[in-house]
Amino acid sequence: MLKRIVIGVCGASLLGLGLFSLYAWNSSIDPVTPPLTKDYSPEVIAQGKILASAGYCSTCHTPPGGQEYAGNYEMHTEFGTIYSSNITPDVKTGIGSWSEEAFMRAMRTGVSRDGHHLLPAFPYEHFNKMSDQDINAIYAYIMTSIPAVEQVKKDNGIPFPLNIRALQAGWKLLFADTGQFVKDSAQSEQWNRGAYLAEGVAHCGACHTPRNALGGEKYDEMYQGAAIDGWIAPSLTETSTSPIPWRAQDFYEYLTTGNSPYHGSAAGPMAPVMHKGLSALPDSDIEAISVYFAANNGTDQSIDPSTSESLKSAIAAQHKQADLRIDEGARLYATTCQACHYSSETIVKGRPLITLGSSTHLDKPTNLVNIMLDGVRSDQGIHGVVMPGFRNALSDQDIASIAAYLRQAAGEESWPKLLEQVGEIRNQPRFEH
Amino acid sequence: MSRISKGKSGGITRRGFLIAMTSVGMSFGFPRHLLAAMNPASPDGKVLPSEGDVYEPSLWYSIDTAGKIKVNIIRSEMGQHVGTAIARILADELEASWDDIEIIHVDSDPRWGFMVTGGSWSVSQSWPVYRKAGAAGRIALIESAAKKWGIPAAQCQAIDGKIVSSKGEISYGKLVELGLTRQFTEDELKTLPLKPNQDLKLVGKQVTSLDIANKTNGKSIYGIDAKVEGMVYANPILPPTRYGSKVVSIDDTAAQQVKGYQKTIILDDPSESVTGWLMVIASSFIAAQKASKLVEVTWDAGATTKVSEADIINHGKTLIDDQSKGSILDTGNVDTESAFAKASSNISEQYITDTVLHAQMEPLNALVFKNPDGIWEVHSGCQWQSLTLPVLAKALAEDEANIVLRSYMLGGGFGRRLNGDYTVPAALASKAMGGVPVKMILTRAQDIQFDSARSASVQQLKMAFDENKSVIGMEHHAAAGWPTQALAPGFMPKGVNDEPYDPFSIAGADHWYQVGAQKVRAISNDLAMATFRPGWLRSVGPGWTGWAVESFMDEAAHHAGKDPLQFRLDMLIAEGRNAGSTPVAEGGAARQAAVLKKAGEMIGWGSEQPENSGIGIASTFGQEREMPTWVACGVQVKVDKANGLVDVEKLVIAIDAGIIVDPNGAEAQCQGAALWGLSMALYEGTELLNGQYKDDNFDTYTPLRLAQAPEVKIEFMVNQYPPSGLGEPAVTPVAPAIANAIYNAVGVRLRKLPMKPKDLRAALSQA
Amino acid sequence: MAKFILNGELKSADVESDTPLLWVIRDELEMTGTKFGCGIGTCGACTVHVGGRATRSCITPVSSVEGAEITTIEGLAEKDDHPLQISWKKIQVPQCGYCQSGQIMQAAALLKDIPNPSDKDIDAVMGGNLCRCMTYIRIRDAIHEAANKIKEHNDEQNI
Ligand code: FES
Ligand code: FES
Repeated sequence: MLKRIVIGVCGASLLGLGLFSLYAWNSSIDPVTPPLTKDYSPEVIAQGKILASAGYCSTCHTPPGGQEYAGNYEMHTEFGTIYSSNITPDVKTGIGSWSEEAFMRAMRTGVSRDGHHLLPAFPYEHFNKMSDQDINAIYAYIMTSIPAVEQVKKDNGIPFPLNIRALQAGWKLLFADTGQFVKDSAQSEQWNRGAYLAEGVAHCGACHTPRNALGGEKYDEMYQGAAIDGWIAPSLTETSTSPIPWRAQDFYEYLTTGNSPYHGSAAGPMAPVMHKGLSALPDSDIEAISVYFAANNGTDQSIDPSTSESLKSAIAAQHKQADLRIDEGARLYATTCQACHYSSETIVKGRPLITLGSSTHLDKPTNLVNIMLDGVRSDQGIHGVVMPGFRNALSDQDIASIAAYLRQAAGEESWPKLLEQVGEIRNQPRFEH
Repeated sequence: MSRISKGKSGGITRRGFLIAMTSVGMSFGFPRHLLAAMNPASPDGKVLPSEGDVYEPSLWYSIDTAGKIKVNIIRSEMGQHVGTAIARILADELEASWDDIEIIHVDSDPRWGFMVTGGSWSVSQSWPVYRKAGAAGRIALIESAAKKWGIPAAQCQAIDGKIVSSKGEISYGKLVELGLTRQFTEDELKTLPLKPNQDLKLVGKQVTSLDIANKTNGKSIYGIDAKVEGMVYANPILPPTRYGSKVVSIDDTAAQQVKGYQKTIILDDPSESVTGWLMVIASSFIAAQKASKLVEVTWDAGATTKVSEADIINHGKTLIDDQSKGSILDTGNVDTESAFAKASSNISEQYITDTVLHAQMEPLNALVFKNPDGIWEVHSGCQWQSLTLPVLAKALAEDEANIVLRSYMLGGGFGRRLNGDYTVPAALASKAMGGVPVKMILTRAQDIQFDSARSASVQQLKMAFDENKSVIGMEHHAAAGWPTQALAPGFMPKGVNDEPYDPFSIAGADHWYQVGAQKVRAISNDLAMATFRPGWLRSVGPGWTGWAVESFMDEAAHHAGKDPLQFRLDMLIAEGRNAGSTPVAEGGAARQAAVLKKAGEMIGWGSEQPENSGIGIASTFGQEREMPTWVACGVQVKVDKANGLVDVEKLVIAIDAGIIVDPNGAEAQCQGAALWGLSMALYEGTELLNGQYKDDNFDTYTPLRLAQAPEVKIEFMVNQYPPSGLGEPAVTPVAPAIANAIYNAVGVRLRKLPMKPKDLRAALSQA
Repeated sequence: MAKFILNGELKSADVESDTPLLWVIRDELEMTGTKFGCGIGTCGACTVHVGGRATRSCITPVSSVEGAEITTIEGLAEKDDHPLQISWKKIQVPQCGYCQSGQIMQAAALLKDIPNPSDKDIDAVMGGNLCRCMTYIRIRDAIHEAANKIKEHNDEQNI
């Protein structure tokens, strides 16, 4: 999710430059010396830490194996390669000289201390939904608890004219939701808390909401699923293709354990969201988020998936397998996947029923093939559990046969041009985190 | 007290040898980590130290002062629990306590004589040897105790590791401690009185094989686990053809980026086992494997880059049509011409089998180095040490005496490790590096590419009948690649036309049925021989000759309008050459008739079957006429006409292998062998494509898996004949029984192995 | 530097991050009970437990088991007395034995999830474990035997 860059900057050039430059211009905010720990109460710093985690600051601002928050995390976008900024309190290369005010402005409007526009990879339109108090807590935490690292940000590889930062302003004008969070009094406190977190710090929509051609979130299709970093962030609404509807407790289980037996595991970009991000939030907050999404999902919360028809037919489908001598996909599935993915009469957590999982029911094979190629690491999905990767073991043809078999066993129409798609997915840049 | 007896070969004493085995760490200056899996029951495979002095009544075992008995086994352990079976023969005759037995899989010292594990020979050939050896010890121990007590030996009895008399009892260990000097010459051994077979106590009784426990806890040491300090790893690069490829140039620039990569060696192999090979040396297996993919090599390829399975088979057909080719076996009356000339009817059918891979679970590997004494040590599982040593000697340009093969557990042999060619590249690489330890492991794809596969075969069978539809003549012409020609030409006898033949590529065709004039002609398929190196694969010739003979017997019975079971029984007459000439073969064709009847009962021969279901039977005689294991198979199949799938619902085996030494192990061997038969009948088989096997791993090569295994019922005939072999025979009747059952179910005859759903569908659509 | 817990002990190995776990265990940590059969996840010889679940170590890069708990055949039971090891010995399942570490590890994972498996369950879960010696009939029997023993044991405990 995090590093999906949607720099639909071209659109900005449509605007008259004269008028526009006025809007685009921002003043620089004076540098300060970094605040000290004693300037904040321990509670505020602790709260900041939780929120920084729930906002995945480190996920985007730390490259694999690199120093925390020091930036230069590489993001591949349709518009070119970009690198995240150093947000350690280093005065020279980080945000050490940023005042609370400068930080607040950046979080709310995507403008750097020196006045230049930040690329919208930085999801300020979500952070803008946060309260002043929460934003300041994050500031307090970063400035007092993150070690300063001197590291100059690498130049982005974004070609002209997309690299003109001022054009970003136009993009903002066009697409960014600049409103702050407003409670819905018709909904419960818990729902509102969930909405505040999901729309704000957790910026769920950054991945799960489809974007327009220029990369702006389509707010009228909020959470309806989108492609991101070579994966599909599935729909979290009633448009979900999941055969078993998500209930609040399913969201909760998924977000706390990395897996819902009725839906699948948090892999790819979702893995750090859950293991490195949301896991810092108190249980009550995860419950609130779950309630919020379950409501969005319009699900009948009383349905028991364990006795649902969908589950029964998914289990039946895996028990009724074609003879391995005549069905290539069934044979490869039986010999390479089934040892772990088979369930007897009831579903066991940790034995994901793939015919039920969201990856087989999405319109594209992306997630299924990604997982087959690269597996699931111990820090993804269910913590400490691993799925091996078949990238160097099985051919595109093998993988396509298995995927085709599963798709058919899941009762879905076959994916078109599957073999080609497998090849493309194999060759796309891999999400590294 | 000094050790008394010696083995008959000179050189180092037996005692010296044992010490060398037990303290390899010091005496040869071997590094500490060296493992050699000589004792399958000790956690690291090391031989346990003997206590005090040892007494060795013969070459085959020693007894120490604690009464512990080390039994020397020259056969390799690859799943048959062969050490347990052989040690039981010895312990029984010696009257030893089973708890005192330790198995030692010895290394390739010349004193052991001819070392091979294959042909299902191990138990059968060891039977007389270890019984006499056991008797020798028993007699010596009795004599020694009698002398000590001052009573006649006849008043003493050996029981459970002790000598007992009216004077009391004394343990074997104690007797060894007191000193024993009795030795036995080979001639003396021959005349020793043995226990009557009925008095055998350990033989035939259930026991847990000594190698089992370590195979459930990861402690068994296989060749792939061999380790020595300072070893480097190697992974080869294989040339495009099995023979005749020459390296033109190499570029290892990309490989140099791999951490741990050291170098690439172009092998120069005087033994011609691995022509055109390169070895990539690195500090770990993974680095070697990674690097080997990155080295760019250009070869001048051998001549067979275009050969396909169809070419081999078509060539086989051409060879069969040429009557001048091949060797004609001595089957008594070979004048079939006159029989066919006067026949009132005859039938003729052709049977084809595709290439089959060994695909043993442990990929080929070998660790080779020159030890500080200047001896080349080869650490690897091996089935035929006596064949591999000369090859290594040639490759290394060394005297055989300077090479030793150490024993390891084999992660499956099935005949692949009869051919020791895989030890050569490691040896050559080590030599090129001045004798440093080189551990080579092949990836699965390399293992398969380098396999000595079971050759594709073509067989033409003909039968002549008189006016009563009685059989008066039969011909069997078989063309295939010959492993024995490729690997051990000295083992090829000559036929009646003075042409040599590979006995292992025709055995089975010289069956025990009374058919009048009988001509069996074996032809070497030279195109197969040039394209790959054919190998002996579990059940060898009878695995495919039996398929043809027993399919054909049903076809002949149908032609004659007779019941296929009765048709066979009528021809199984234990007379003349079919009476059986060796002790193991005693009883001859009558024993085959007995298992056939038994299998018929077990499967319910003659019972009514539902539509598209059928019963089939077949019977063979295991491996060779001199050492027959009579075996019959009954199957019940269900055919799905729509998709051509054949389900084997029942599989029964009746088997007569004489005395069964290790019943549990025997049953296991037969279960495994029967399922191999099923696997080769319906599930596996590859083809040559551009001079290479088409499949290279288990994603496309598909041996039987658990879900596909039906219940298998095994029944052994109970008798007192000397034991024959059990590792392979149950493979042989399964495929023809299935083919016969398919015919009985849906009326079509499949004459090609494996029997694939698409072939059955095609046959059905033509029917 | 890869770090994980192997049979209860913290281990580290200085290997490339894409090195398959199998070779780290076998060559670096010198535990050779886990076997190499196919290298592509189709034979099961290399099966270990990661986080308690059967995992083909030949296609699992060591980087993906960072911090995880790994059990190999050597660590399955302290005295090699896992009910499956006992039934395996009683029924004398192994022939060459090469596949058996993987078979036992896979079966152990099976019994944990499906304590009383039917033949069908066994076929499905054990289908990825090839045995070239074809010990399948005994594998099936030994799994049932162990399942029964575990059940008896549990029933006794509950009385
Ligand atoms: S070696 Fe890992 S599955 Fe075969
Ligand atoms: S026991 Fe030999 S492969 Fe299974």
